[in-house]
Amino acid sequence: MSKKLASVLTRTVIGIAVFVVVVFAAGIAAGYLSARGTIASDQAVFWLVAVVSVSAMVGAMAISVAWMRSIDEAAREAHKAAWFWGGCGGMAVGGVLVILTSLPQAGTLSFPSWLDGRTDPAAYAATGAFAIMLLMLMGYAVVWAWWWITRMRD
Amino acid sequence: MNNHLKALRAERSWSQADLAEQLGVSRQTVNALETGRYDPSLPLAFKIAHVFGQPIESIFTED
Repeated sequence: MSKKLASVLTRTVIGIAVFVVVVFAAGIAAGYLSARGTIASDQAVFWLVAVVSVSAMVGAMAISVAWMRSIDEAAREAHKAAWFWGGCGGMAVGGVLVILTSLPQAGTLSFPSWLDGRTDPAAYAATGAFAIMLLMLMGYAVVWAWWWITRMRD
Repeated sequence: MNNHLKALRAERSWSQADLAEQLGVSRQTVNALETGRYDPSLPLAFKIAHVFGQPIESIFTED
């Protein structure tokens, strides 16, 4: 393992530890404010999850930047190709589903959402977003594996 | 693109890992370069030329 990658892993572990502490502190603060009646419990949960999700995504992006800088150019090229071709391929498959579900005939279909069986518009929107992300990630994984196996095998 | 990396490396009795360390890339990348399965960026090509002390055009040639 290169020194750069080891440094990124160390910082990632430290970042996750800090994140856990922040989540714990935010949970205590939200619980305290909710118990005092300063804010409603629903609001407390919403703001807690908002803080946690934004922190997690910012942290994930920071780790991604550091990790991308720590790998060599061929490994970076593999990820770039995988995101472009795999991501576009995944979106193309998702695009077909988007077009089909936008037809009036699809109005009679009943799909379970992926959020605990909820059937409200927000749950369906989240299900659609998850589905596109999943398809893009599947495309990414396939193209990355193809790129790596065809070029980097011994 | 063709290259003479393997021959140049053999002349110096360097392993792929030795060359990879000097170039700041992985051994797999050196292997991919030698087998022509990966074409280097211009900065890496310059670094390779510098390591071998030869101009880029004497190391890399068109197909």
